[in-house]
Amino acid sequence: MVVPSGSLGSWETKSIVSNMFPLLVVLCIIVLWAGITLEDAEELLETYGLLAVMVPTMVDMGGNLGAILSSRLSTRFHLGTTEIDPKDRVLWANIAAVLALAATIFTALAIGAWAIGQVIGAPLGLSTLLLISLTSGMAVAVIAIIFSILATYGSYKLGVDPDDTTIPIVTNVVDVCGMVIFIGVSSLVLGF
Amino acid sequence: MDVRTGFWSIYRETLPILVIALGGGLFAGLVLEGMLESVERFPGLLVMVPVFLATRGNVYGALGGRISSGLHQGLINPKFERNERLINAVIASFINGIGISIVIGFISWGALTLLGRSAAALPELVGIMLIAGVLTSFVMIGGLLLLIFTGYKLGYDPDNLVGPIVTTLGDIFGMAFLFLSVAIIEVML
Repeated sequence: MVVPSGSLGSWETKSIVSNMFPLLVVLCIIVLWAGITLEDAEELLETYGLLAVMVPTMVDMGGNLGAILSSRLSTRFHLGTTEIDPKDRVLWANIAAVLALAATIFTALAIGAWAIGQVIGAPLGLSTLLLISLTSGMAVAVIAIIFSILATYGSYKLGVDPDDTTIPIVTNVVDVCGMVIFIGVSSLVLGF
Repeated sequence: MDVRTGFWSIYRETLPILVIALGGGLFAGLVLEGMLESVERFPGLLVMVPVFLATRGNVYGALGGRISSGLHQGLINPKFERNERLINAVIASFINGIGISIVIGFISWGALTLLGRSAAALPELVGIMLIAGVLTSFVMIGGLLLLIFTGYKLGYDPDNLVGPIVTTLGDIFGMAFLFLSVAIIEVML
């Protein structure tokens, strides 16, 4: 971000609000789809309360993974790596790390939800929770990786700073995918 | 860089942050589970939950990114003071955060009505979002600045702190205040 010296430039309240608010409205409209998916699943959630416990993490974690990868990729672009090369070893190290993080966190989510279930008396087994959490979590992680690479690369081709628009859009789209996939996988696994 | 070394260094750096985010997410999930009872009283409440949570990340993530760039550039100091840039950025975040919350109430009600589904009265949905939006703004802005300033003074790079702080605080306080706000509207109306 370039800030002209001597003036407030991009630090004016009015300029921050007028730059940001339209994007916020667009993002709300994108995520509304996740909201409608959640409302549709109301009966499923009322039957299996543990699924509701998992919802915020399922929705946020895909976006977190996408944001981590995007910011690492955009730093590399800033430093001069401007092409996607399938033989790029650092890119593969990043992708492998994101997948390993996803496997760890979604296993922990299933165990955490199961432990909460033991306390609040909810009827889902650990293997069912692991199946739901890992299937939907790994699917979301793959989507987050693909979107982050394409969006960061695309921003540079178009000359847009990815921090300002691309990363928020990727994060929100991945959030929606997280919700849709989680509800879909849960319904399939539980035969609802 | 060797692939294996790179892999482990990324994994080790990021895992603690994600584990904290997981804790915040599970807490928010418990609150959501407790809120399911109110859904029948306010149809449309569930539609607003993911939008409200995502917006917390968008508004305060942007504020955090701005503050951390400002600290790097020496435009603001890591303390609560009458710095014009800091004050402008904070006011803008209040306007964005509270303004977009009201918009969420309208958009959710509008979408449900267009799709021919049942929705609670417009003032109820907007009222829930307004109260939750105002309460969350104060805690998120204060908490985010406090944590970034403290982290910066202790030598942490604010860029690495912003994302996880915003997600975790947003989940915890977003859901807690949404729950409180639903309770307030239930009593008032």
